[in-house]
Parts: sequence; C-alpha cells; structure tokens
Amino acid sequence: MNDNITIVGENTVIRGALQGDEDLTIYGRVEGTINLSRTLIIEASGIVAADIEVQDAIVSGVVVGNISASNSVQITEEGRMVGDLSSPRVIIVDGASFKGHVDMGNLEAPVGERLPSSTSAMAVRASRPAVAPERPSVPAIRSPVSKPASKPAARPASKPASKPASKPAAPKAPAPKAPANKPADKKASKPRRKPPRPPSVPKGKRRVKRRR
Amino acid sequence: MANTIIGSSIVIDGEILGEEDLTIQGTVKGKVTLKENLYVENSGVVEADIETQTVTISGQVTGNIAASDKVEIKSDGRMVGDIRAPRILIADGAVFKGSVDMDV
Repeated sequence: MNDNITIVGENTVIRGALQGDEDLTIYGRVEGTINLSRTLIIEASGIVAADIEVQDAIVSGVVVGNISASNSVQITEEGRMVGDLSSPRVIIVDGASFKGHVDMGNLEAPVGERLPSSTSAMAVRASRPAVAPERPSVPAIRSPVSKPASKPAARPASKPASKPASKPAAPKAPAPKAPANKPADKKASKPRRKPPRPPSVPKGKRRVKRRR
Repeated sequence: MANTIIGSSIVIDGEILGEEDLTIQGTVKGKVTLKENLYVENSGVVEADIETQTVTISGQVTGNIAASDKVEIKSDGRMVGDIRAPRILIADGAVFKGSVDMDV
C-alpha cells in the first residue's frame, strides 16, 4: 500500500503483536508475533523472538520462531535462525546458521481423512460382537419396533439399526454397554419387544452364556 | 531524525521499550516506555500509557503521559488522558481532555 518503511531502531524493544501492510526493517528486538503483507528485513543487529507471517523475509540477524512466508525466505550469511520455515521459496546462503524444519509445499496427506472413518468402524465393531448372535434370529423385526424403545434406554446409539438389536443383548454383555439402569429400562421396553423375540432367546441371565 | 519509525499501516498491540527516539505514524496499543523522544505524527493513533523524556503529539493519543522533560500537543494533535510533566505546551487548535500535573 504505502511506500513508507517502518524501522525498529537498534535500541528499541517491541513486545506484542505487530501487523502491517508495509515493509518492516528491524535493527532492534521484537518479541511476540509479526504479521505483514510485505517484506520483513531483519538486520544484523536485529533479534526477533516471534512467530512471523509475511510475504518475504530476509534474515540477517537472529530469529527464534517460525516463519511462514507466502513468497520467499532468505537467510543471509550473518543470519541465524532456530525455528520452522514454511515458504514456497527458500534461500539459505553459505555461512548462515539454521536449525529447524523446512516446508516448501502445501501437500495435504490423506491420513487425516482416514482417521474419522477408522475410528467409527472400530466403534461399530465393539458393539457388534454382542449383537451378532441375536441378529440372525430377528434382525428385521427388531429394528422398527425396538427403535422407539431404544431411545428411552438412553444408549449412546450411534447406529440406528444395529443398536436396537443390541439392546436386549447389552445388559448381558457388560463390556460394550451395561449400566445398572438398563435392566430396568428393558423391563419397560421388554413388553414391546417380547412378541418379536424368539423363544429361543430368553432374557438376561441366559444370554450371558451366549456372549461367547 | 527519529531512529525508530512505525509506519502508517502498522498496528502494534503490546509494549514498546526503547532508548532512542520513536516516531509513530501508525497505531500502537499498550504501553510505550522510552528514554528519549516520542513523536506521534498526524496519522498516528496511540492508545497507551506513555513514559518518556519528551512527547510531541500531532496525532491522536488516548492514555496517560508521564514525561521527564516536556509534553507538546501541536495544533492538529488530540489527546485524552492525564499529563505529568514539568513543561507543557498546548498549541492553539489542539484538543485536550484530562488533567495536568506539573509538579514532578
């Protein structure tokens, strides 16, 4: 925007957040964060302990902190930097000192996308084993009827179809879900469920054996 | 003249300490402590407590000033806050609201 140049003199210390739309030349000391849309020049006497977000950066002094530049970062011969660099162009001149990571791209790994699906899959598996034995018996019948009953049972039902089926099994299988409340809830819901339940699958105690 | 210049589009939120002159053409919020002179230019906006040797205000200052030498508010300067300095100069046209204490 402006042709002004901002200068932080050698004996000046700035602590806090610095933002601007123009070039900044630091001869002194800055601590905190720097956010510029133009060029940042840190001269030999400059000491910056800040996280920097600029367009271009030229480091001839000391920088402790991360630099994220949208265009380029240059560490000159007298420059010393400890921190991470994130910029599409990086220039480190012979004689410079640097320690940290360099990231010159914006590649996004697909790992982040997988995680949520894998965690949900695992949650499903945890509940399924308990339900498995019963499902083949009456999976279809239970789902429409059990759904209203399932809600009062207050199960963390993440899955509509599978969980109502799992509810009758749940008290028997303590691992997935088995609070004390459930048997009481079952009794209220059981009358509804009784007709769909096959006689071969008794309530509560007998099912414990079947958990296997 | 000044060794440190804060440009007109710069916003600093924090503390400034220095042993040399400071010219503010941008915005500073927080605290300013200098051993030399502070110049707040026309475009400067300072919302801070200031402690320095001298202050020359041509912009806008909101905050208290404690100067060891002199405070000057020029004709285009505007200040809201208390001033504590042995010498004070308020030019015709300046806007000032606050208390003045010259007993330092």
